[in-house]
Amino acid sequence: MIELSGLEVVAGGFEVGPLDLRVDDGRYVVLLGPSGAGKSLVLEAVAGVRRAAAGRAVIEGVDVVGLPPERRRVGLVFQDGLLFPHLTVAANIAFGTRGGRGGERRGEVERLAEKVGVVGLLTRRPGSLSGGERQRVALARALAAHPRALLLDEPLSAVDPEAREGLQDVLRRVCRERRLPVVHVTHDRHEAFALADECAVLIDGRLHQTGRPLDVLRRPADAAVARFLGARNVMRARRDPRDHRVALLADGGSLRTADELPGEAVLVVRPEDVRLAPATPDGSLTATVTRLTLQGGHVLVRLEVPAALDALVPAAEVERLGLAVGLRVAVSVRPTDVHVLPAG
Amino acid sequence: MRRRRMSGRRISPFWALCVAAGILVVVFVAMPAASMLAGAGAGLLGEALRQDDVRRSLVLTVSAALITTVIGFVAGVPLAYLLARKEFPGKRAVEGLIDVPIVFPHTAAGIALLTVYGRQGIAGRLLAPLGLEFTETVAGIVLAMLFVSLPFLVDGSREAFALVDERYEHVARTLGSSRFGAFARVTFPQAWRGVLAGALLMWGRGISEFGAVVILAYNPKVISVLTFERFEGFGLRAAQPPAVLIVLVAFLVFVLVRALSAPRRRRSGTEPP
Repeated sequence: MIELSGLEVVAGGFEVGPLDLRVDDGRYVVLLGPSGAGKSLVLEAVAGVRRAAAGRAVIEGVDVVGLPPERRRVGLVFQDGLLFPHLTVAANIAFGTRGGRGGERRGEVERLAEKVGVVGLLTRRPGSLSGGERQRVALARALAAHPRALLLDEPLSAVDPEAREGLQDVLRRVCRERRLPVVHVTHDRHEAFALADECAVLIDGRLHQTGRPLDVLRRPADAAVARFLGARNVMRARRDPRDHRVALLADGGSLRTADELPGEAVLVVRPEDVRLAPATPDGSLTATVTRLTLQGGHVLVRLEVPAALDALVPAAEVERLGLAVGLRVAVSVRPTDVHVLPAG
Repeated sequence: MRRRRMSGRRISPFWALCVAAGILVVVFVAMPAASMLAGAGAGLLGEALRQDDVRRSLVLTVSAALITTVIGFVAGVPLAYLLARKEFPGKRAVEGLIDVPIVFPHTAAGIALLTVYGRQGIAGRLLAPLGLEFTETVAGIVLAMLFVSLPFLVDGSREAFALVDERYEHVARTLGSSRFGAFARVTFPQAWRGVLAGALLMWGRGISEFGAVVILAYNPKVISVLTFERFEGFGLRAAQPPAVLIVLVAFLVFVLVRALSAPRRRRSGTEPP
């Protein structure tokens, strides 16, 4: 188990923390945040290659702050693998193995190579491996030292999209089988949601929210988290004095909410939850289409309510509605899809 | 296709100028070197090796430069590593200071050394009771060589270490290596070519040093001093054998340094960072 409490890291005037985070054995926690949020600094402080300014980092009951990295028994995998270029794949994996006879160590290296799927590469040099292969070897190398925790710094960023899924499976399996606490750092929310038991969102050096991926996605703790997770519609509103479940948007229009609103509020609506229909004269909220952007199988529709509102609509729906710039459409959002945050 | 070949044949005045200047430089450098090497072929080398004082001088020069390089390695490599890895107040000043001997006229360097390590100098007086004297001794030769050649080893090693991503050491340490272990197992194996090239340059620079050595120790005579003495006393013909010999040795060092440096450049070109 990893337990960070009040952990602070300072690097060149940038402060991260104080940070509290608990990762149980076999749990996969993704530390998610935009680049420059300080995610890597946290990992480096836990691994011991950077000094923590304050706080504790307890691994299996021992506060490791103050211990040199070689005594922390923490596996660290970087984005580019950082395999030692002067050693073969086998020697890379064997680097951290300790004791045992040559034969035993070789057996251990082969077992690990099989586990991560690099058996055929053992005699190769790192320079000739693909990004995905390198990450697999780096993982095996970290596991060979029998770590008590695994720290992964953007481990999938340098991997081809096709190889990514396979590597994700390996990461999840290793975490489960070895019952290792894993902290995986990334700026990619899709990667986070695909892997995490739990997401911790770090923005500007501060932990904004920790929770299950779906909870974080549906109920962001604040506007910064909402925006970072792709909820493009973050709007100021105030309660309708006549109906406390109706929000009057600051820029005009209104939205019905599931719960009673505070006097002033910030509404968060994910673009995929915005529904469009042909405009009708009695529709409560109408808007004008101002831009259409194709994104994969969906189209991002920019609307003017007059407040700006983004909707993510399946391409087929765009054709069915005949959406085009300048068209008036009816806009609706299910009350349960409107997430209400206190203003401030 | 045809047009391109036609225009390829017409050399623009700009390139013509570059090529002409290039030829001049190459000839300028190659001629003396070729003359020395031709001399070696013409029996001057054999003649040099038959002469007792030349042989003795060669052994003295090569071994003094070797001692110099070993001392430089022990003292300079840790400094180079420090400069490559750490930021500290005055670092720029230290880096500049290390390179000062390169711009010193070497006779002036000899004078400067004499004021510190000579019989009247601070260090000279301190070290004399230990039996270490620097005037007219091998220790003096080593001292002079060390002063003028150390920058080559420190700079070369520092660059080689800086090219090795520090995070390799971080990974090694999480895998159980101590600080020294990470250096020895991960950083040095990646940087050794650059360090060795720096050491060879230092050795070569030591072998060819004249100005600083001649001020501290005219005797025993290193080969550059012997060459100078023969030229002064007996003329060009007498100075040729030791000169040919030292040029050959220097050439050998040069070839080694090039051989060490070239593959590293090629490798770093093909391997992703």
